[in-house]
Amino acid sequence: MILPKFTYKKVKSVAEAVAAYNSHKGKAKYLAGGTDLVPLMKLRLSAPAAVIDLKDIAELKAVSRKNDGWLAVGANVTLFALKNDPVVKEYFPALYESLDATSCETLQMRGTIGGNILQDTRCLLYNQSLEWRKARGFCYKMGGKVCNVVPNAKACFSNYCSDNAPSLITLSAQLRFVGPKGERTAGLEDIFSGDGRRPLTVEPGEILTEILIPLKKTKGAYEKLRVRDSIDYPLAGVAVSAKGGTVRACVCGIGLKPRVYDLSDMNEATVKEAADRMYGDAKPVSNTVLSAMYRKKMAGVLFKKAVKRVLQEG
Amino acid sequence: MKTIGVTIQVNNEENVLQVKPYETLLETLRERLNLTGAKEACSMGSCGACTVVVNGTPVRSCLVLTAEVDGADITTVEGLQKDGKLHPLQEAFMEKGAVQCGFCTSGMIMTAKALLDRNKKPTKKEIVKTISSNICRCTGYKKIVEAVEDAGRKKG
Amino acid sequence: MKDDFNIVGKRVARSDSLAKVTGEAWYTADIKLPNMLVGKVLRSPYPHAKIVRIDLARALKVPGVKAAISGFDAYGIKWGVFRYTQDHAMLPTDKVRYIGEDVAAVAAVDEETALEALSYIKVDYEPLPAVFDPLESMKEGAPQIHDQYKNNINIHINIDVGEVDKAMGKAFLVREDTFKAAGEAYAMMEPYAVVASYANGYLDLWMPNAGPHVRAKALSNLLKKPVNRVRIRHINSGGAFGGRSEVAPGDLVASLLSIKAGRPVKLVLSREENATSSRQVHDIITTIKTGMKKDGTIVAKDFRVILNGGAYSSTGPIATSIPFYYFEQSYRLPNVRYNGYRVFTNKGIRGMYGCHGRAVLAGNEVQMDLIAKELGLDPVAVRLKNGLKSGEVTATKSKITSCGLKETILQTAEKTNFTKRWGKPKRYKGVGMGCVAILCGFPMGFRSGSSCYVKINDDGQATIVTGLVDNGQGNESMVIQVASEVLGIPMKDINLVCADTEVTNLDPGAYSQAAAFVGANAVRVACENARKRIVGIAAEKLRVKEADIGLKDGLAYSKRSPDKKMPISWVVRESFFRGDPVIGTGSYFPKIDLEREWVSRPWGQMAGTFSFGASVAEVSIDPETGKVSIPRFTAAHDCGRAINPMAVEGQMEGSIQQAGVAAITEGNLWDKGHLLNPNLLEYKVPLACDMPEMETIIVSSIDPEGPFGAKEGGINIRANASSAVACAVTNATGELFEELPLTPDKVLTMLERKKGVKG
Repeated sequence: MILPKFTYKKVKSVAEAVAAYNSHKGKAKYLAGGTDLVPLMKLRLSAPAAVIDLKDIAELKAVSRKNDGWLAVGANVTLFALKNDPVVKEYFPALYESLDATSCETLQMRGTIGGNILQDTRCLLYNQSLEWRKARGFCYKMGGKVCNVVPNAKACFSNYCSDNAPSLITLSAQLRFVGPKGERTAGLEDIFSGDGRRPLTVEPGEILTEILIPLKKTKGAYEKLRVRDSIDYPLAGVAVSAKGGTVRACVCGIGLKPRVYDLSDMNEATVKEAADRMYGDAKPVSNTVLSAMYRKKMAGVLFKKAVKRVLQEG
Repeated sequence: MKTIGVTIQVNNEENVLQVKPYETLLETLRERLNLTGAKEACSMGSCGACTVVVNGTPVRSCLVLTAEVDGADITTVEGLQKDGKLHPLQEAFMEKGAVQCGFCTSGMIMTAKALLDRNKKPTKKEIVKTISSNICRCTGYKKIVEAVEDAGRKKG
Repeated sequence: MKDDFNIVGKRVARSDSLAKVTGEAWYTADIKLPNMLVGKVLRSPYPHAKIVRIDLARALKVPGVKAAISGFDAYGIKWGVFRYTQDHAMLPTDKVRYIGEDVAAVAAVDEETALEALSYIKVDYEPLPAVFDPLESMKEGAPQIHDQYKNNINIHINIDVGEVDKAMGKAFLVREDTFKAAGEAYAMMEPYAVVASYANGYLDLWMPNAGPHVRAKALSNLLKKPVNRVRIRHINSGGAFGGRSEVAPGDLVASLLSIKAGRPVKLVLSREENATSSRQVHDIITTIKTGMKKDGTIVAKDFRVILNGGAYSSTGPIATSIPFYYFEQSYRLPNVRYNGYRVFTNKGIRGMYGCHGRAVLAGNEVQMDLIAKELGLDPVAVRLKNGLKSGEVTATKSKITSCGLKETILQTAEKTNFTKRWGKPKRYKGVGMGCVAILCGFPMGFRSGSSCYVKINDDGQATIVTGLVDNGQGNESMVIQVASEVLGIPMKDINLVCADTEVTNLDPGAYSQAAAFVGANAVRVACENARKRIVGIAAEKLRVKEADIGLKDGLAYSKRSPDKKMPISWVVRESFFRGDPVIGTGSYFPKIDLEREWVSRPWGQMAGTFSFGASVAEVSIDPETGKVSIPRFTAAHDCGRAINPMAVEGQMEGSIQQAGVAAITEGNLWDKGHLLNPNLLEYKVPLACDMPEMETIIVSSIDPEGPFGAKEGGINIRANASSAVACAVTNATGELFEELPLTPDKVLTMLERKKGVKG
């Protein structure tokens, strides 16, 4: 399967990347591991005029402890490298588990944490070749006027399938962006637009440079629903992290946005109440393998399983 | 469209090439260098049949642009033999019956080679985890795992 | 039959594995011929539509395009496996019948040019109403997909033995259940590819195929060329599993393009095209009614099976019948009725598959287990009681010769402590057993046999020439191993020329489980004829009786005084001197009833022999998620004798993956005529981490006809592994499955049903 035509540029700094982006008048895409972008290009879901390779930018590959009590993870750190950094297993067990559960080992070595966060949303009827989609008809996410899954729907129901965003959200991670309009920081849980056509509120040309995590020891777990125990994206993913008196849970993989739940503790009543809420809030549609009703049920079930493991550790 | 000049070491041989910017490493290996051991089985990075080793790391060459790996040191299955002697993995795959139709074999071997290069004595669990990056339709994986264990013992 | 063989029965590294581990083995997409063009196919976006016009003119104007064709460039021939199923034009001119059907094609200097040219082909369609569900398709008023098949019924197989209704009336217990299974994808690792090269009146082709001779014949008909002008050449094959048996539209496309362009053309399908536009597997609905005596004896069975055939006949009556035959060749059925309907729908074409019929096979076994439970009997005892034995005759009059069914059942039951565990399953854990018999070869008229030719060089190496084909299961190595045993020449000194229709003679192909029983048998016969010549000359030269001569390691020697020996190369030279070189030819034709016909005369000896086997799966279910894990799987296969036990084990282990684990993961998903998972991410081929611990047992019943007693060694477990898993889940949950695959959502529903929970 050949790729569409594009030009390629390898840059050595963030400034150079942004400049290259600007020179293509917005018709460029950034490339890190390529495990999300390249398949999308092969399917003609993305056809930029230019691809800008960020992998030579040294500052994006570092993991460092900052003085103000944060861990700064460069966006281009691979999932495999991050998983094997001892600080992750020690401080952020939910993140360790979600990194280990992401895809398969080979792709963990190629995929970056930044790319994993910034991945496009997915749907069985979206992630298909151009010929397939022409035969079926274009949907909202492709620039059409319908949803191909839910007749008469006025919205897109594609799923945001990052394994690591939910665990990072439970760790209250922040993102640092550098773009044509300057720098900014945003909470990871705040970058989701709720619009399947542009699921992330990332400005055109912005580069995710680092992920900042408060460097505090947590207990945590990540539960992933999938048919096979490797390669597959999450059909639902629930992360739980607890530190001090606070507990955060995050449900992902069902719909456009991860949903965050803050709990005061993990006793039977609060856990049940949160699980019921997760069940109620989950609105999956038939755009994955396995039934939508089942995935809805699993939101609460996976949460309870994660809590059980976190409590066992304690 | 302008081509891009790259220099890549492939199986210890230098190749100075002009490639398309949107050319994948798999295409370069198979079409330009006639190294057809790496296979195109899915094109989308879902199966691992195209796996080669780039700077020590196993990669799905169907998802990598050749332009990205300018200057890299690349090993394909064709480069495993040394002075006519088979790599322990190649021998083990043959002896343990780990090859049936053979289409997944080169990707499987390269993924395993990268594992043995970074982990001299992998446990069975580690081997299963690593090769769960690759799809095989014929073997049920048991003899593949046995072959990698065997090669690990011989190499180490 | 003596058992101390030199090489047969030994674990050997397969002869084809060296080229595969070095990356040197060529598959079709690896072929590069001078001046070769790239072919690309334009496919139908409609499930059902009239073709009004196909305009290739603009496409032909694209620089670098050397040919463009459509069905209007073909010869108006419709192909079919049988004379009464000739409905496939390969490239239609009347209408398209499934999304992805081949409509037109171009050949150009590179892929980009070919794709550009495709975009300029104009096809005018008139969409027609389409139908996707076989039950809907059979109703009055449904869109007719082919004019000649009323109510879209492609094939109806009706078999009626004994007095079913009477026997049901007298049975102690009667049970009727309905089962469904989603159709699978073959998902062979090699996407379909064809290279066609037409020059000087000869058309040469390479493609992964399971039977080059029937392929060449089909193409010769389609192209109106004599068979000797259509030569299918040997090439490695990246898996077939039954999906590469028949001539493909791509074969015709590449041929027509090459003939028009006067240059070789390579057509490589993408993974998606492989899923939508080469063979798929039937989804099936079956209702099974069983009558049993109180002691567990089956007195009657009544099957109704609806197979979703997709848009064309493909193997037609074969696929429609096979689930029945697998079952009737395993168990004694004094009264049995079978109504199998293969029904057309506007979906991709469904073919035969190694795991074909899992709804019927698993449904049968699961129902038997539930009846056994009701009767207070043990499933092992029920299978032993009803299992066929050597010397018996099946319901449709096939005699069973070698039969190790009992052994396979006893061994798997013993190794898994089956009876005890099944009787008292731990919470959410279960065991299940599936049994099946597999016919070694289908009746294929005059194509049912195989022939072989052997030549020996004056240096003592041999070349064997046979039509047999290898799709990765190890057939090539198997026949070299057989030849080595008979000729006494080491395997490394034997070359093989096979699956090349220019050189090799007719062979039934690898899709009818005939490679060992028929193909290797012909090799054995040819080598024995060569051996007789060698022995004759050696006995004369060594001055001993012929019966005293043994052949081993390239030497002819006296068994009584082994010091008396001479190299086989000397014997061969002597034979050249005498003007009568050592040449061996031989054929093997199985003893089958050639009057048998799938539809019109479904009784008589079906195959020369049958393999038997049993699988036991152990499952553990997570009650919160419904996820089934399979910690252990035990399988026993009576393959007569394993020529290469390592190869047979490999087939069994692969079968456990492709049928056993697949029973909980694999199924094609559809949105009307659109295949939702035509790729290797969303179609769930099990990975190494999904596999159980496996134990494989080879049972050797030593078939009287098979070469060294061998029978088929590749399908048996493929046809009973899904039954074992389904039965284990039933043991764990107490519920019958509704539809395979038993993905977690379906199992959770089964558990909730048990608890009485709604929705």
